[in-house]
Amino acid sequence: MTSTREMFSRARIPYGTWGSSFFPAWQTSALAEVNIGQFAGEAMNRILSLRKVPTTSLDYLILGSTIPWHWKFWTAPMIASCVDHRIPGFHLEQACATGLQAVIVAASEVHSNANDVVGVLTFDRTSDSPVGVFPERRAHERTMALADVWDNLGFDPATGNAMLSCAGFAARKHKTDRREVDELTMYRYEQYFNAKDSGLLDNVLVPLEVLNVQGKPLGMIDSDKGVRKLTYDMLQVMPELDDCVTGGTQTHASDGMATLLVTTKEKAQELSSRPEIDISFVGKTEMRTYPSLMQESPAMAVQKLLKKTGLTMDDMTVVKNHNPFAVNDVIFSKLLNYDWHKINNTGCPLVWGHPQGPTLTRVIIEALEEAVALGGGYVLIFGCAAGDVGIAAILKVTDGAK
Amino acid sequence: MKTLRQPTLDTFGLGNVLDIFKNGKLPVNADSLVDTIFGDSSNRGAIVISGANGIVGAGKTMQLGSRLQKYNIPIIALDFPGAPDGIGMQYQGLKGSFGQKQADEIMANVIRFNYDGKKLPSQLKDFNPRFLLEAIPEILDIKKNHYKVFRETFPGIAIRSVTSGFPSSELGVGIAHPAFPHQINKMWETVEDTPSDITKLLWAVGLIPVPVSDHWSFVLDVLFCGLMSAGLRYRQASNMPYWKIDKLIRKLLGPNPFRAHDAIGAKGANFLTWSCLYHLSETYGNLFKPTFDLEYRKESGQNWYPLNHFRPVVNWTLSDDELDEMNKWILGPMIQMTSLMLHENRGHLSHINAICEICAQFRSGILATIRQLGTEKSIKLVEEYHKLDPQSASSCWYPEVFEKINDPEWQQLYVNAEHDGSVGLITINRESYNKDVDIELNCAINWLKSENIERVILSGDFHFSTQLVGADTSDFYPALEDADKGYDISLNWSTTARRLHDEFKVSVGFLNGKRCLGGMLELMMHCHYLIATNDCQVGMPEVTLPVIPGMEGCHWSFRKAKKEDWSKISDLLFTGQAVKASGAVGWLIDFAGTEEDAIKMAWKTASGDNHGLTKR
Ligand SMILES: NC(=O)c1ccc[n+]([C@@H]2O[C@H](COP(=O)([O-])OP(=O)(O)OC[C@H]3O[C@@H](n4cnc5c(N)ncnc54)[C@H](O)[C@@H]3O)[C@@H](O)[C@H]2O)c1
Repeated sequence: MTSTREMFSRARIPYGTWGSSFFPAWQTSALAEVNIGQFAGEAMNRILSLRKVPTTSLDYLILGSTIPWHWKFWTAPMIASCVDHRIPGFHLEQACATGLQAVIVAASEVHSNANDVVGVLTFDRTSDSPVGVFPERRAHERTMALADVWDNLGFDPATGNAMLSCAGFAARKHKTDRREVDELTMYRYEQYFNAKDSGLLDNVLVPLEVLNVQGKPLGMIDSDKGVRKLTYDMLQVMPELDDCVTGGTQTHASDGMATLLVTTKEKAQELSSRPEIDISFVGKTEMRTYPSLMQESPAMAVQKLLKKTGLTMDDMTVVKNHNPFAVNDVIFSKLLNYDWHKINNTGCPLVWGHPQGPTLTRVIIEALEEAVALGGGYVLIFGCAAGDVGIAAILKVTDGAK
Repeated sequence: MKTLRQPTLDTFGLGNVLDIFKNGKLPVNADSLVDTIFGDSSNRGAIVISGANGIVGAGKTMQLGSRLQKYNIPIIALDFPGAPDGIGMQYQGLKGSFGQKQADEIMANVIRFNYDGKKLPSQLKDFNPRFLLEAIPEILDIKKNHYKVFRETFPGIAIRSVTSGFPSSELGVGIAHPAFPHQINKMWETVEDTPSDITKLLWAVGLIPVPVSDHWSFVLDVLFCGLMSAGLRYRQASNMPYWKIDKLIRKLLGPNPFRAHDAIGAKGANFLTWSCLYHLSETYGNLFKPTFDLEYRKESGQNWYPLNHFRPVVNWTLSDDELDEMNKWILGPMIQMTSLMLHENRGHLSHINAICEICAQFRSGILATIRQLGTEKSIKLVEEYHKLDPQSASSCWYPEVFEKINDPEWQQLYVNAEHDGSVGLITINRESYNKDVDIELNCAINWLKSENIERVILSGDFHFSTQLVGADTSDFYPALEDADKGYDISLNWSTTARRLHDEFKVSVGFLNGKRCLGGMLELMMHCHYLIATNDCQVGMPEVTLPVIPGMEGCHWSFRKAKKEDWSKISDLLFTGQAVKASGAVGWLIDFAGTEEDAIKMAWKTASGDNHGLTKR
């Protein structure tokens, strides 16, 4: 295998043209009441406005979401109309890898010279998932109704196992220690609240007001509602749902959106408020591990990616992941021999929830802000996804002024 | 005869308002104008309205049909055979306004002809067309060809185009440009060399002709399309959705241009606005250049507001800085466009200002708005707008026009005064009373007093104010937050009203038109005498809002009435229901009669002639 440290050399992420909504826990906010696609489109427009990016500069739109939303047949063109700029585009999904995969695909759009400015817009509403009925010849319960989120998390059709059971399997395989898992969880909460207090997340999270059909305020989306300060004592007494998995050491369902742009280098300089900052793509890969061991797959994907790029964990300035279970991080530490305290400095999905589609997009945005604040360097993003898949990518932030 | 500024009636040859009182009659009357234009009743010619099934054509067929009904002028409605039945669609509204019987009679006078666009129907001759009101699509060649066909067949026919933007010099006919909604909006911008009988007839049947100069797009469309253009440009700079821009413009100035386009019909309205801006930009440069989204929406006819199932989900709450920037994007171009219109002398300043309010939903006309901002701030706003939108800096910007802001033309937009050396007249040309009217009324009183006038008539202006409806409620909003503000309004306005009573030897309130209500009636009742036309409705509808009459209507009216009549005044105040002036003589009104009798009585009373009325 030859190692290379460049991918999609034409593509850049313009610094600061991004934003994410807060991720309120499911059923707790006005987001439970709206067509999340429409919300995401309108929110993207507002975020771009705050970032002083005219929507008219967009050529193309790539959507990422995992839960069906009303009128999804009309895909990106419909959401582009909500962004108020009529451009083409399409929709992709890969369970919880969606938020990263969409960015990678956008970079390939730019690199292939198909488009110069591609919007990435990821979103999901886990609240009140649509109910689907799938008539099939061989189904033993032909007209069983499926409510999308829970049924999917509870049942991998290929293995018959739930996500939660996978966490238990992986914990047993890697002999993770409940105490360490609880300590890690505590630390993740501290990281989140410290980052919030530091103001770093103000560049990422945009408060948005949702309107009802009469045009009157329905609610503000201005916090990751549902996230509360946990104490170690609280974590310790939580009953185990499976080995090392408690209500505290796994994430919760939430609703939200996140958006960023992928453009050519020239366009990035034109659109960014800090053109001296260059964000490029270094590499990306995926791995699929043995059945029902999803929580180890991200570590394996990272091992593979490091090999491909010839980089080491020590080269990384920022390391951040999608960690629906705390055991993910403990296993990662063991396999990569990397101190978990150095991961997820500004918070992570374990804490702020799991709206699926936009989760990894918010992870990327937070990681890039952190890297810029640290003066640049390599940024490692990774996470797990349905089907025992791990995904990982490395980006590079260079601050031309330094 | 002296006037504070030129009376607006004078702009179409009807002279001073004071002369109406002195002569004891209106300057022209509809009967004789109809005879002159259409021939006498034994030989009445017809009006042809072409494009009669269109938005304008159908509306104007109804408006003119109802107002000219009693003169038996056949209204020939001409359109293409396949045109959708625009006139038929008006029938329900007509019935609502006039009742079935009269609606049927009005419709009976409308004769519909189909026409292929080339050859006029041969039976048209039998009706002896004397006047063509052309309301066909806004395409220059089609219009010109249309006139040619008519002139060849009916050489002496008078023609007016309703065009939104083509100057008379391009079309070769006079202009009578109406405003939406066409069946009820009374205003017509007119362009003609000298004031014609047609224009005077419009006035005589209660419509509001407003002469403007022969420039592209006249006044209304420069303002209306210009405001749309400002909104569209702001949208490009900010991404803000059209619906939200619309709401903010409404808050800032009053109109909601995007909603208006949807209401008129986006397909037609988008094209007309594009056409107006396009032609303006050809003449005046980039200030008017249509934006790309207007370009494509003129083709698609797409609505500006989201469809019903797409009602907006995300609100746009602006920071103070963002709001400040938006003000520049909207007010900047509006002030600049106004400078152009003033530079070109497009019309009497009261006309330009009133067009904003009567036809374009401005809470306060653009000139009143600029006056309020002041010259320096207005100029600065435009300069700051140019920094945001440099393409507009290079075209038509005439800041020097604001140097005249202290002249009476600028200062008396709503209130004028005239006198003949002994009797003065104050005319109000705004239907509702607001801060501006109050200030101007004080200036008018001051002027008459400085001219040693002790006798005065207070009246509408016989032009814009076809009725006086009371206080402008938008002036009350600050009082909702701060009771002292309400107290101030009440005190200031009452103080002005008292001047009519205290500072003149004789003051006469003259009430004509459809109604005189609320604050305007309170103002009038401070005069020593109240003289009205029989059918003018008088009342105090405040209780229905609900507010309390704040210009002393609650006591001044009692003070002037006999005790046994107090219950009648209480009725007015407590029910909010109006009564006819003829039914209020003795306790509220001193004299009610036909318009001519009332005019004569007002003059007698004011001039000190033997009028026989006792001062209450
Ligand atoms: N829509 C408005 O609010 C508005 C306001 C002021 C002025 N105007 C002006 O009014 C005119 C008409 O506009 P509209 O909005 O009513 O358009 P419209 O399309 O609603 O109506 C035009 C009508 O003219 C008919 N027509 C077309 N060619 C004709 C011909 N050669 N002879 C007879 N009839 C013909 C059409 O069948 C149609 O019924 C335009 O000049 C426009 O600028 C429109």
